[in-house]
Amino acid sequence: MNEAMPLTRTDLFPTRYSLLSRLEDWSDDDSWRDFFETYWRLIYATALKAGLTESEAQDVVQETIISVAKDLHKFERVRERGSFKGWLRNIIRWRIADQFRKRMRHEPLPKAQPGTSFETADMADVPDPAGSTAEAAWDEEMRASLLEAALKNIRPRVREEYYQMFDLYVVKHWPPGRIARMLGVNIGQVYLAKHRVGRLVKKEIRRLEKKWG
Amino acid sequence: MTDPQKSPEQTASKGVAVAVPVVPDHEIIRLIGTGGSGQVWLARNALGTYRAIKIVFERKSACGLPFNGEFEGVKKFEPISRSHDGLVDILQVGGGAGTGFFYCVMELADDVQTGQTIDPEKYIPRTLWRDLSGRRQLPVGECIRLGATIASALGFMHRHGLIHRDITPANIIFVNGFPKLADAGLVVEMFQAGSYVGTEGYIAPEGPGTARADVYSLGKVLYEISTGLDRNDYPALPAHLDRNREGRDLIRFNKIVLKACRQNPLKRYSSADEMLTALLAFQFSPRSLRQEKRLHTAARLMGIAGVLVGAVVIFFLVRRIVWLLNHAG
Repeated sequence: MNEAMPLTRTDLFPTRYSLLSRLEDWSDDDSWRDFFETYWRLIYATALKAGLTESEAQDVVQETIISVAKDLHKFERVRERGSFKGWLRNIIRWRIADQFRKRMRHEPLPKAQPGTSFETADMADVPDPAGSTAEAAWDEEMRASLLEAALKNIRPRVREEYYQMFDLYVVKHWPPGRIARMLGVNIGQVYLAKHRVGRLVKKEIRRLEKKWG
Repeated sequence: MTDPQKSPEQTASKGVAVAVPVVPDHEIIRLIGTGGSGQVWLARNALGTYRAIKIVFERKSACGLPFNGEFEGVKKFEPISRSHDGLVDILQVGGGAGTGFFYCVMELADDVQTGQTIDPEKYIPRTLWRDLSGRRQLPVGECIRLGATIASALGFMHRHGLIHRDITPANIIFVNGFPKLADAGLVVEMFQAGSYVGTEGYIAPEGPGTARADVYSLGKVLYEISTGLDRNDYPALPAHLDRNREGRDLIRFNKIVLKACRQNPLKRYSSADEMLTALLAFQFSPRSLRQEKRLHTAARLMGIAGVLVGAVVIFFLVRRIVWLLNHAG
């Protein structure tokens, strides 16, 4: 391979059967798939930003899903105390900390200089993805994840040509005139596609927010 | 995009013991790939010709078909494979029921660097997947030619009552530079194609095992090679569409892809042959022919201009030399 290929969900997906077997508390296949599709990019990107390697970040994705599956019922019981996204944020942070601990166990410690001390990786070492300055960015990333998952979920339900017009207009920010010229359609069709697909996307985002937001 | 065939290095790194198989009249050289349905080895026959040998062990046959069913599929496919240029030739089949494994001796894919000049130590098979990882997106003309070859091969299989079920860029190899459909591991007869196998993202929404599902998979392959996007991004178009000189051709080509990949199988091409007709109609449409003619004319004019410039340069050089000789005297 001449250049590194970006990671896609397919790279993570082959593991889903082994993962599923570990999700004893989450036997509903559709439910975990829904969660995975909504948040894997966010978890993966957060782990990479924290300084983990690609393979460690993949482990964080898996371990986060397993943690969510195990503890979702506990969260449901105390839901009024906090939002799902805040709870998820903490789980991601803990799983990233686990990876740093694992890494430190496998790497020989450098020789300590006199007067210095080495701490084990703990929660304090892991940048909080929603630290006070990053709160807005985290919320933005959560919204982007929901939008991406909603787009993916509605894709099979809309005519492909409509989706292409919507994607160029709303996601890729092309002016409608340019889309009409390029695709050989009239501008009214572009607006119609935006309206029809947009309505479905909004509905799907509402559904995901209700379930996972 | 992922290559479903793992490299032997990956296999070794996972600590999986690899037993060297014994295949009559062939010297086994090294493992060049492993996948869901078996291993592929580089081998040399008695004449010194390099071959690929696929081995499917009874315990490895985890592709949804009973081992014997898979063997039957390959047996049916073997004579057909040699009757179409778009299918990888299966030259010999052995083993089978009661032996615990079966093998297929096949023609070898080109090496990614050296084509059919094979250095067994460095050999890496050239697949469409490898081509894409270097280039990401192929010119529309190349997509049409590749699509037409594979659609023709698929149509041929379907007419003989066989379904491929795993059309992916990793299963399209190049032999002497020509694309061929490989990996007969999942080939079955139409009536027994009920199990859910294939590669995620290329499998039709209604499941594999029909001619229309194979058409869907080919459509997804053509989507990836023409747009440079992942199959899971379908049907999005690339952002740089109108900055590309081929943008308009890509839009026209995309119409064929969309029809091949409709969610509703009844709205797809009814057969690979119908898809082939659409691809050929596109390739030989008056517009494409006009474009090709324009390119030929431009190339010819450039050639003539080059010759003329060369002639003028030579003329002035000769004149200068003659002038220098006269004045030197």
